[in-house]
Amino acid sequence: MKIKKILALVLAGAMTLSMAGLTASAEGATAPDNDLVIAIEGSVSSMDPQNISDTNAISATRGVYEELLHFDENQELEGVLAESWEVSEDSLTYTFHLREGVKFHDGTDFNSAAVVANFERVFDADNGLKSRRTYFKTVDGEETPRIASIETPDDYTVVFTLSEPYGVFLNKLTQMCFISPAAIEEYGNDVMYHPCGTGPYTYQEWVEGDHVTMVRNDDYWGEKPGVDSVTIKEVPEAGTRTAMLQTGEADLIYPTSSDQLSVVESTEDAQINTSVSNIMRYVTLNVNREALSDVRVRQAMNYAIDKDAYVALMYGGYGEAATSTVPSVIQYYEEQTPYTFDLEKAKSLMEEAGYADGFDITIWGDNTTQEIKGMTFIQQQLSQIGINVEVVPMEPATVSDKIYVPLEDAEIDMWYVNWSASDFSADSSMRALLYSEMCPPTSANTVYYNNPDFDAAMDAGLAAATEEEKAEYYQTAQELAWNDATWLFLGTDQIVYSTKTYLSGAYVAPDGTIRYQNAVLAQ
Amino acid sequence: MADKEIKTTSAGGSYEAEELPKAQSKVKEFVKKFLRRKTAVIALVFVVLMILVAIFGPYIAPYDPAAPDYTAMLQGPSAAHWWGTDEFGRDVFSRLLVGTRLSLSVALASVIIGTVIGTVLGLLAGYYGGIIESIVMRGSDILFSFPDILLAIAVVAIIGPGVVNIVIAVAVFTVPSVARLARSATLTVKESLYIEVARSLGCKDWRILWVHIFPGTLQSLIVNFTMRIGTAILAAASLSFLGFGANVTEPEWGAMLSQSRNYMTTAPHLVLFPGLLIFLTVLAFNLLGDGLRDTLDPKMK
Amino acid sequence: MGRYCIKRILSAIPLLLAISFFIFMYIHLIPGDPARMQAGMDATAEEVEVIREQLGLNKPLLTQYVDYMKGLFTGDLGNSLKNGATVWDTIIPRFKPTIMLTICSIIWATIVGVALGIISAVCRGKAMDYIGMLIAISGISVPSFWLGLMLIQWFSVGLGWLPTSGLDSWKSYILPSLTLGAGTMAILARFTRSSMLESMREDYVRTARAKGLGEFFVIMRHAFKNSLIQVVTVTGLQIGGLLSGSVLVETVFSIPGLGRLLVDSINYRDYKVVQALLLFFAVEYIVVNLIVDLLYGVLNPKVRYD
Repeated sequence: MKIKKILALVLAGAMTLSMAGLTASAEGATAPDNDLVIAIEGSVSSMDPQNISDTNAISATRGVYEELLHFDENQELEGVLAESWEVSEDSLTYTFHLREGVKFHDGTDFNSAAVVANFERVFDADNGLKSRRTYFKTVDGEETPRIASIETPDDYTVVFTLSEPYGVFLNKLTQMCFISPAAIEEYGNDVMYHPCGTGPYTYQEWVEGDHVTMVRNDDYWGEKPGVDSVTIKEVPEAGTRTAMLQTGEADLIYPTSSDQLSVVESTEDAQINTSVSNIMRYVTLNVNREALSDVRVRQAMNYAIDKDAYVALMYGGYGEAATSTVPSVIQYYEEQTPYTFDLEKAKSLMEEAGYADGFDITIWGDNTTQEIKGMTFIQQQLSQIGINVEVVPMEPATVSDKIYVPLEDAEIDMWYVNWSASDFSADSSMRALLYSEMCPPTSANTVYYNNPDFDAAMDAGLAAATEEEKAEYYQTAQELAWNDATWLFLGTDQIVYSTKTYLSGAYVAPDGTIRYQNAVLAQ
Repeated sequence: MADKEIKTTSAGGSYEAEELPKAQSKVKEFVKKFLRRKTAVIALVFVVLMILVAIFGPYIAPYDPAAPDYTAMLQGPSAAHWWGTDEFGRDVFSRLLVGTRLSLSVALASVIIGTVIGTVLGLLAGYYGGIIESIVMRGSDILFSFPDILLAIAVVAIIGPGVVNIVIAVAVFTVPSVARLARSATLTVKESLYIEVARSLGCKDWRILWVHIFPGTLQSLIVNFTMRIGTAILAAASLSFLGFGANVTEPEWGAMLSQSRNYMTTAPHLVLFPGLLIFLTVLAFNLLGDGLRDTLDPKMK
Repeated sequence: MGRYCIKRILSAIPLLLAISFFIFMYIHLIPGDPARMQAGMDATAEEVEVIREQLGLNKPLLTQYVDYMKGLFTGDLGNSLKNGATVWDTIIPRFKPTIMLTICSIIWATIVGVALGIISAVCRGKAMDYIGMLIAISGISVPSFWLGLMLIQWFSVGLGWLPTSGLDSWKSYILPSLTLGAGTMAILARFTRSSMLESMREDYVRTARAKGLGEFFVIMRHAFKNSLIQVVTVTGLQIGGLLSGSVLVETVFSIPGLGRLLVDSINYRDYKVVQALLLFFAVEYIVVNLIVDLLYGVLNPKVRYD
């Protein structure tokens, strides 16, 4: 027994020591240095801004590179390299007036020729760049460009002529960054190792899988950065990110998962920050399954889920229960009649539909700790109305392999998933997920939702000319999908990140990108 | 009594007749020797206790291990919940009690399967050498050169999810190391004088392998076996962590440990109790293994 | 022995061919589609098809295999499906952290493990034996992610002595090496102890002792030397495990090594990178094995290479 005693002592000691670490006192609210360190969860896939699609790479490249326009803190479009722009009445011609006197980090001038050179690089299929997809439309294997021509009447004016109206063109342009034409010329696709833009920071180092470092650009055209350097470091483990914030090795950590909140709260010179997000959390219900084909069953399932408990359990209360098919920050969002947690109502609906004894069903999802937790919650909630859910977590790649299959091979019942429309448009928020032609294998309508009224509203919304009309159509679409209970509408969690109290001016935008361009570390 | 019966049934069985009484006294001697090793006895008691828990756990658990209680999430140990509650408000003590069955059976089954296959392959490879050795050793090289995680993904991809797949996945990466050990032990024993004597006396190969070589390799295999139980419990944990668990809603020690690792600082009881249980179980199996090894060793007094 | 080496190296070639075939089939046959991963959940089937064509994944599997083998012989491992960089550019910077980590871990684990094993064997049944084995067993009964996070809590957050992550100075290697080597240390301690106990009972050790040679000399010169063969086998087995086992440790300590690259690449189904990494692990494994087998001969003259 001696051994066990020693063991217990050692472990007890270990626990006390680790707890003691938490309450260690914090220093004053000034930064030890003027170097900003940001710890992120995922990885930066590339430093080529025209060949990326992930949020982390977008965050990292936006220190070096800039766009014509972007969404500001209030989700309003704001000119960056463009001072102003006009859109013709037929929505086909977009004229941009560029900012004058802007230079790339290598001294090359930013002008209309540079804009054209960048678009040419993206359009060239041989370069195999990810952003190319944005500017082409593929129908029946035929590719047509969305931009018919780009003209440059003078050095600081660029005119885009579209081949057909493309309502989200400006939204898409917020993702188009400009690389020095000289660098493109010199490095080709290796420019990812030699980033050269117009941004407030100049590139210093990218160690793939580890970090990106940038230093202040003293010749920046706008307000010069307040910090000497910015390092974006990949730290996959949540506990380690929190530890880095505690020790001061990191000044901003994103994300901060709900299980880490109380640690940050108890750290004196650290704080939790939130911003609204465009993330919709939901479970798709395959209407081709016999039990799920009855709208009453789908509604009953929605009533059986305590959405507030979901937000509390999964996100430590940082979030809100779903109030529509799209999150509230999405364009043309309209609040719907909530499916308030009501077991009696749920049970009676089940009985009406002839499923008083419930049924067996499976739920699919990714195999991360957080997703498993969410699916377990759904299982627990639905068991209250007799539905026996089998939780089947799979690797993300395996999930998508099993989802994008022809109808006759479809095995999917329920899918625990989330979606964020990076351009905040109602169209991107619903089309791929609910439009009838988007059923797998084409795209992600795993509800196999086929409602002609919904399709009509979506199409009308895309073609509509005025804001009012668009709002009306998209609101109809939201309402139809909501009342048909196509999903289990769960909620929208806030973006939660933690900072040292001496850091200001850096934040995480609703789309999950980190904005550190105006960061200041109090000295 | 027993001796007599055998004598009468086997006519010319003077050989068996001679060995049997000796075997019986061997068992007695073994028990006597084993009981002298206190740590091993304590370990055995613990292992037996764990096996009892594995059998009766679901009946003695104070709470339903799957029942959530959203009003009592992440509570520390209390009178109502001895070992606290988890992120769903489920009773940790009950979950661990019930989870014992799954954890132990997965670990034991996979290690037994892996060890049996590995030992046979290793013995054959070490004894015969040549083409058999090449095939076995190169085969285990291929397996070895694949990191464990990939083997697990491969197993799941091929045979689908379930308890069986964890057992197979863990067994698969047990085989090559056991085979190598058995082979190297065989190589050492093979060169011994008594094997050469046995061979020159015209003993059959299988008899030399089974009676002379196998016992010689037993010691290192037993040590390895007990250590592997621990590895298997942890491997099952990493597999559950990677999402390849049997059924995520069913409690399992390793899964509980990995799922709750983010609560290490905020709700330490969530990692402490599963961790402690794993630790003690592995410790017990190791001490038991030591005891067995020493007892089996003819040279030990 | 030279002839043996050449023979072994030659016999490794078909093995590597077999392995490269398995690797190729493995990665291409498990579920998952890099084109879909790249296109995103909302992309249409047609858009995915365009990407698949761009990545060359629409060719027949056999053609892809032939291309891959051709590439192997000319040293061209292809381009990462993730960002188009050459596989060499992707992999090379990842070597140093993992190899440094492995070396540090194996060194401390061998020294401490063997020392613990010898002490335990010599002090058999005494308190030192129990303490030594307790330390050893702790090493294998704690999951590495748990140990790593614990160490960060104590030494980085609590005491502020060592950094939580990165590889900026020698200090940053301490915690990850401790975590990574714990299991190896445990296994080595146990094997050293048991093989020491065996050899200490051998006749020649008793004879040596009877001759009145010093106890330390007897232990090191006779008993330990004989146990070395086991120790070397186990160490060799462990090195292979360490390289690939660094996945969790690299994750916990945010180290940009091969292990994390492998897991990221598998998740992304970056076929080219996965193939190259697995092949590297295989080569490394074969080399370590060859060294172990050669050491067998040096340590135990009874084993002949033929």
